Amino acid sequence: MADKPHQNLAVIGHVDHGKSTLVGRLLYETGSVPEHVIEQHRDEAESQGKGGFEFAYVMDNLAEERERGVTIDIAHQEFDTDSYYFTIVDTPGHRDFVKNMITGASQADNAVLVVAADDGVQPQTQEHVFLARTLGIDELIVAVNKMDLVDYDEDRYREAVEEVEQLLNQVRFQTDDASFIPTSAFEGDNVAEGSDNTPWYDGPTVLESLNDLPEPQPPTDAPLRLPIQDVYTISGIGTVPVGRIETGTMSPGDDVSFQPSDAGGEVRTIEMHHEEVDNAGPGDNVGFNVRGVGKDDIRRGDVCGPADDPPKVAETFQAQIVVMQHPSVITAGYTPVFHAHTAQVACTIESIDQKIDPASGEVDEEDPDFIQSGDAAVVTVRPQKPLSIEPSSEIPELGSFAVRDMGQTIAAGKVLDVTQS
Amino acid sequence: MGKVAAKLKVMPESPEIDLDALQDRLGDALPEGARINGFERDDIAFGLVALLPTVIVPDDAGGTEAVEESIVEVEGVESVDVENVGRI
Repeated sequence: MADKPHQNLAVIGHVDHGKSTLVGRLLYETGSVPEHVIEQHRDEAESQGKGGFEFAYVMDNLAEERERGVTIDIAHQEFDTDSYYFTIVDTPGHRDFVKNMITGASQADNAVLVVAADDGVQPQTQEHVFLARTLGIDELIVAVNKMDLVDYDEDRYREAVEEVEQLLNQVRFQTDDASFIPTSAFEGDNVAEGSDNTPWYDGPTVLESLNDLPEPQPPTDAPLRLPIQDVYTISGIGTVPVGRIETGTMSPGDDVSFQPSDAGGEVRTIEMHHEEVDNAGPGDNVGFNVRGVGKDDIRRGDVCGPADDPPKVAETFQAQIVVMQHPSVITAGYTPVFHAHTAQVACTIESIDQKIDPASGEVDEEDPDFIQSGDAAVVTVRPQKPLSIEPSSEIPELGSFAVRDMGQTIAAGKVLDVTQS
Repeated sequence: MGKVAAKLKVMPESPEIDLDALQDRLGDALPEGARINGFERDDIAFGLVALLPTVIVPDDAGGTEAVEESIVEVEGVESVDVENVGRI
């Protein structure tokens, strides 16, 4: 059998809109739920006199099983279609994990947004869609779920679609990149097979849409960006910076530059898995050695890039943020810590330029006095120490950040524009 | 809220650090409510080996910050990064 490409898929949406049920249904329909789990559930359901198949229950059961196991594989929910192997990235509910999603290694390529037809767009729907955008999700498949609860009413479906389209416009998500499907994950409508309950819908099912997604392309064509995690002195070798390549490629002989430390030189050797390599690319964890660069010349938080296209260093930058939680209000002058790639730098929000109305997606207010939880805004930010960061339109992998203060993740954002020092 | 598994990447201070002893120290250092569910190791470069513990934390514990802070204080640890998080 030919090897199929792999996709990381995020399933996002408001709590109780049916994420687990949809994931359970997808796993079940693709034959990815172990038979003994299904059997066990059937026996229990029968003994309790309940009919039907509770997919959320199956998911809980699998979770318990995994926890009893010796090692827990986070990338645990897997299924395949004709075109792809899918791994489901099941995002934790708590907002403080958003930082990990932004600075972490394996991000989702595409996402399924679940919106309940009887409940419509809710605050968490809004937050997740913004995060999906910030995290560089390309395509969104929108399941308007729980259609059984609204008697498969087309008007209610259209209303929900319209609400979601407004939300997508708000975060500048191209609605052309989103597809909408009326589903009941519970009953199985339009998940794996088209449904007689929705004769007014002739589009693809969820599985067909997943199968038709474009193949994710590793960002090899972008310039090299390698955020430095640690810098070592290794006897017999010299200074060895270590990190994961986000974009581009690196080879011995390349002339590289470290920013904002502003050091550079020629790459001598690159090692990966303790073996010398001629070339390393996106996702590779490497250690390397650069002629003329000493241990004190560079540090964690630096980004390594080509000398002729060096990482940008921001004097200021403009960003779009969403405030997720803040006990009071955010005004100009506020200086929390920004987490971007391996850097953590205190940054002052110098001005709040625009507040965006969640309902219409339009600019609600120019130069507002403050923003608060739930608001989306465009702000101008001044790092208090040099920070290397890129516009997310140019290098999305280096263009997003989490904002933390008081032990909480209070906002997430993406860089629109960088003014270099 | 359930539980969250976080795969961490812990870099030792040098290639000479005894990784078995370091694993033990990491297990002892975790804040209450968090526990390590197995280690993997990843050969990086020039003799450096990363420890990749999977740490289970409650979803309502407010993220991985407390775990990261206690691990970075452990003797022999150069840095800690969160590679991946997911609900279990």
